[in-house]
Amino acid sequence: MAPADPNNPTQQRDEASLKVPSKDPKKKDDKKDEDLSDEDLALKQQLELYVGRVQDSDPGVQKLALESMRQEIRTSTSSMTSVPKPLKFLRPHYGTLKTFYETMKDSDLKKYLADILSVLALTMSAEGERESLKYRLLGSEGDIGSWGHEYVRNLAGEIAQEYAKRQGEDAPIDDLMDLVQQIVAFHMKHNAEPEAVDLLMEVEDLDLLIEHVDSTNFKRTCLYLTSSAKYLPGPDDILVLDIAYMIYLKFEEYPRALQIALFLDNLGYVRQLFTTCDDVLQKRQFCYILARHGVAFVLDVDIVADDSERELMQDIINNMKLTEGYLTLARDIEVMEPKSPEDIYKAHLLDGRASAGASVDSARQNLAATFVNAYVNAGFGQDKLMTVPSEASSGASSGNWLFKNKEHGKISAAASLGMILLWDVDSGLALIDKYFHSNDNHVIAGALLGVGIVNSGIKNDCDPALALLGDYLDREDPLIRIGAIMGLGVAYAGTQNEVVRHKLTPILGDAKAPLDVIAFTAISLGLVYVGSCNEDIAQAIIFALMERSESELGEPLMRFLPLGLGLLYLGKQENVEATAEVSKTFNEKIKKYCDMTLLSCAYAGTGNVLKVQNLLGHCAQHLDKGENHQGPAVLGIAMVAMAEELGLEMAIRSLEHLLQYGEQNIRRAVPLALGLLCVSNPKINVMDTLSRLSHDQDTEVAMAAIISLGLIGAGTNNARIAGMLRNLSSYYYKDASLLFCVRIAQGLVHLGKGLLTLNPYHSDRFLLSPMALAGIVTLLHACLDMKAIILGKYHYVLYFLVLAMQPRMLMTVDENLKPLSVPARVGQAVDVVGQAGRPKTITGFQTHSTPVLLAAGDRAELASEKYIPVSPILEGFVILKDNPEYRDDH
Amino acid sequence: MPTVSVKWQKELFPAVEIDTSLPPYVFKCQLYDLTGVPPERQKIMVKGGLLKDDADWSTLGVKEGQKLMMMGTADEIVKAPEKGPVFVEDLPEQEQAVAVGYSAGLINLGNTCYMNSTVQCLHSVPELKSALVEYQNSGRSSDLDHLLAMATRDLFSELDKNVKPVNPMQFWMVLRKKYPQFGQLHNGSFMQQDAEECWTQLLYTLSQSLKSSVSRENHDKVKELFGIELVSRVHCQESGEESSESESIYALKCHISQEVNHLHEGLKNGLKSELEKASLALGRSAIYLKESRINGLPRYLTIQFVRFFWKRESNQKAKILRKVDYPLELDVYDLCSDDLKQKLVAPRQFLRDEEGKKVGLKSSKKSSDSKDNDVTMTDAAGSSSSTGESSASTSQEGVPSDKETHLTGVYDLVAVLTHKGRSADSGHYVAWVKQESGKWIQYDDDNPIPQREEDITRLSGGGDWHMAYICMYKARAIQM
Repeated sequence: MAPADPNNPTQQRDEASLKVPSKDPKKKDDKKDEDLSDEDLALKQQLELYVGRVQDSDPGVQKLALESMRQEIRTSTSSMTSVPKPLKFLRPHYGTLKTFYETMKDSDLKKYLADILSVLALTMSAEGERESLKYRLLGSEGDIGSWGHEYVRNLAGEIAQEYAKRQGEDAPIDDLMDLVQQIVAFHMKHNAEPEAVDLLMEVEDLDLLIEHVDSTNFKRTCLYLTSSAKYLPGPDDILVLDIAYMIYLKFEEYPRALQIALFLDNLGYVRQLFTTCDDVLQKRQFCYILARHGVAFVLDVDIVADDSERELMQDIINNMKLTEGYLTLARDIEVMEPKSPEDIYKAHLLDGRASAGASVDSARQNLAATFVNAYVNAGFGQDKLMTVPSEASSGASSGNWLFKNKEHGKISAAASLGMILLWDVDSGLALIDKYFHSNDNHVIAGALLGVGIVNSGIKNDCDPALALLGDYLDREDPLIRIGAIMGLGVAYAGTQNEVVRHKLTPILGDAKAPLDVIAFTAISLGLVYVGSCNEDIAQAIIFALMERSESELGEPLMRFLPLGLGLLYLGKQENVEATAEVSKTFNEKIKKYCDMTLLSCAYAGTGNVLKVQNLLGHCAQHLDKGENHQGPAVLGIAMVAMAEELGLEMAIRSLEHLLQYGEQNIRRAVPLALGLLCVSNPKINVMDTLSRLSHDQDTEVAMAAIISLGLIGAGTNNARIAGMLRNLSSYYYKDASLLFCVRIAQGLVHLGKGLLTLNPYHSDRFLLSPMALAGIVTLLHACLDMKAIILGKYHYVLYFLVLAMQPRMLMTVDENLKPLSVPARVGQAVDVVGQAGRPKTITGFQTHSTPVLLAAGDRAELASEKYIPVSPILEGFVILKDNPEYRDDH
Repeated sequence: MPTVSVKWQKELFPAVEIDTSLPPYVFKCQLYDLTGVPPERQKIMVKGGLLKDDADWSTLGVKEGQKLMMMGTADEIVKAPEKGPVFVEDLPEQEQAVAVGYSAGLINLGNTCYMNSTVQCLHSVPELKSALVEYQNSGRSSDLDHLLAMATRDLFSELDKNVKPVNPMQFWMVLRKKYPQFGQLHNGSFMQQDAEECWTQLLYTLSQSLKSSVSRENHDKVKELFGIELVSRVHCQESGEESSESESIYALKCHISQEVNHLHEGLKNGLKSELEKASLALGRSAIYLKESRINGLPRYLTIQFVRFFWKRESNQKAKILRKVDYPLELDVYDLCSDDLKQKLVAPRQFLRDEEGKKVGLKSSKKSSDSKDNDVTMTDAAGSSSSTGESSASTSQEGVPSDKETHLTGVYDLVAVLTHKGRSADSGHYVAWVKQESGKWIQYDDDNPIPQREEDITRLSGGGDWHMAYICMYKARAIQM
């Protein structure tokens, strides 16, 4: 109430009390009046008086009444807790005023009345009438904010509806857009960025936003934009992200802009950022971000003029520094000591039932030990099986462990050297070299694959992998060919290297090449050109598919051809359609499988709900004999839904249903899908489901569940999963195949002694590394027929996981890129999208000094004011610069 | 003449001159001087390809200051060991069994678990196995005793050879022929039988045939292994008559009554019995009290828990579920006759010393400074060993048969045959056998399952879990 209101003299109030009793709704009012306080009663009567006066014939009286009424409303609507009293009391008179309005002549007064009606419509207007908007447009064009926040929100909602209607009728929208301008300005000024963004999205004019953001609210605006992009259908999401990119660019928040550029897979933007930004440190940080994402980006003179600086930055992009940083982390955490497979199995914790200490080597178990050893010591450069003898240089024992593997097991054993020396190309090649001179084709094939693995994610000017492997592609022996082909695929994944393409594509057309060679060629090409939509390769794979005889189409390895094709379109959505059409002409046996694979790959990481439904639909059908497309469909659900947290949770529940009602071939794929959804992120509920399935009657379900237990725990050292697997190893001590799976899973859980992650998402779970996803998906497709592939002769597909391996660390470096230890808080990340103020971004944190490990869902922030991070996302390598405002208190 | 830098492993050779007029082989020789890697082992990466010995420098377009990468080591080439490792997967089944560490299971032929478990328990006695291996066909091919012994021998060797479950069909047919009661049918299928009966009959048959085969030496191998010599004092309280008898049995019985909680008490009960016989003094039949003591110990002590009794109401062999604990290490010293006790004194002392020494050794290792302790310890050991010698010399004439090994009256559990269920003719029999490696295996028909030692003692009854029915202990013998 405003007692000092000049328009509200006591005389008038008295008059009103005299006049009003002649009004109609007297009786009702009497009853209601009993509940009202004196003050409210007075207000009510006052308003009723105004209503009466508005209908007065004298424009002067009318004006006075309107202005008083307006004053009352304005002063009260600023509160948002309940329906403002004036509005409540004016409700009964809305109709009266409306009819009076119609009779009025056009004048300023009419506009005034329209304003008031517009506000009254806020509570009165029937659903869908949009009267508030109608009167607003008829009224005076005064400051929209003066009517209060709630009014603006309501108006925004009506505009959205009206806009949709007018779009349908092709009616002009200029008047609406003027209003939108005002509303957006109001929202942006009043910390209501989400509302502004929502309105602009409704009226499809996000560009307006750029004018209205300022340095105080752009961060929250962009955060809202980027998070809502996940839920938008294409092409709106691209539009939204474009806007976010522009805003970041405008406010020179380059690292964030780079993230969006990478999300959009727009190298033009990346280039733009490099040229726009003139801070060397930021550019170096860009390089680290590009390296983590695995983008093959070549800096040229236009981008960085200085030669030595360019070389340094290119080295960062090429991941040449990765091994150094990783080893620094390992030394800091003190896990350099190599571990043997026995250290992982921890058989001494299992009494009685442990394997009876067999005196004779089992080839299967030795092979498992080879993989465990490779996974656990990945990237450390030393282990207790493969590298030890060479150091001891006792010629006779050299290569001892290698020869404890049988035939094709030697491929994996030799290749494991590549994993142990991961990223360290120089020493890796030196160690692998001697195996090239072996007279055993298995060993040579393994050495070739090892060279590929060492180079995974690393680009080197001399292209050692291409130089070494290129010569072996045309060898007679299919094993050597596969080794070289897969090596190239792993080494050049995501680079779109032309030379590799020219070397590999002819193999697809080689009618004499055996199926396994063709299959690995398709996968390798898919990996090298992942997400490129390369037509030539697609053609080549399609021809290869068509040329295969019908009997070959039933082979287990056949699945790699559609998958290679799918990888070309990974995450590229509708770009796949032409190829998908072609795939419909394939042989019955492979048609549906191909269709599912293409669909799931193309929409991987998009969170597209319609595609998830489509895939679920395929899973609900009963299979005709010989069909096998439901496996990839189930994996597809996971691939599409893994994009964001909500969809992920829903997918987990849907998979639970499939588990209950699905047929056996679906049940076999469900654990793998769960493994993909939660890779390196051991959620308790998923862990329990998988633990249950690991004892399933059907051994293939059990094997898939065990491998998935390894995947969800990959690189976490999770004690609970480790315990489960230990128990499983005693439960399945007699079944060599299941025990093999348990061992692999144990190796995965201790991947890189807990320093690595397989999660393809990084940078606050915003960016999806296509290579990483491709690597995991390839393995999972291989797991769909575990017996023929992983338990058969092609166990080295387990090395495809190397594409997804990344240190899960925060490594802070100083301006000279030397490691710098600073205190950092690490805690559970909190979703702060759309929250007002500056909420805490992490919860339950602990303070460590960098380098630190980040678990899934963790976020870090610096605990010291002394430095300012160059990138706002504290993951991987982050450059710190001195804070000029920092003052040491002590 | 461009100069290039060559990177080799972690080293960088900054200025290497290339004479472009000479073939690359010369360049490689240059690098040989620098790195020690012979030219044929060098791999030099130039623009995604390898440098060939006869390549033309001009086509490669090597620029001034270009970085080349060389791979290659002077290391010895890996050679496969001459003798490759042997893998379990490649072994014949027989050797796989050795690798696995335990023998195969036996297929159930329809309620034959009583037989399977009996065979598994007896199979764990190596002496019996070797005796059977020596057992030769002595031309009595039609004799059922002989046939059964042969069948047992064959079955045992089958078990040793296989990893996969063995089908005991042959053995079973012979067993049924010899003892028709095992062939009883009920509703068209074979009935479950009492494992103890099978055990006793089988041992009896083996004893008969083994005895006859080695009749020249006139000793009974089975009796030597399993036979228990008892001396009994039969005493009539009414008349005061007293007589003494001796007998040989194959198993001690553990009678289970309300008071019995432990095997030892049961055994004591089992050695006491009342019997009614005609008394000469009274001229009528009277109650005699028979008290037995062990006079000769076997290598393998078999103990039967008398869990089944004939229940007239239900017309079946009902089971006593009472929990009776049994130890992993059994000492029957106080069940022995005075004569035997005398003989056992020295070996037992020796055994105790041996164990004491072991403990002493450990403690001395733990605390090296407690020298005094150590000295007294060895003193004690020395003095006791001297007394041991003297007593050994006295006892030498007492046991002339085995000069070196002495039984001590201490036994270790090696096999347990358990029964699960409420009556002897139903339920399920399972054998739990300790392997030579010290591990316990539960033979549930065709399925051998490793078990922990502490779980073995939990088979003592008192619920519906498997409970021990027959225990077999192996004597702890010492060498003196």
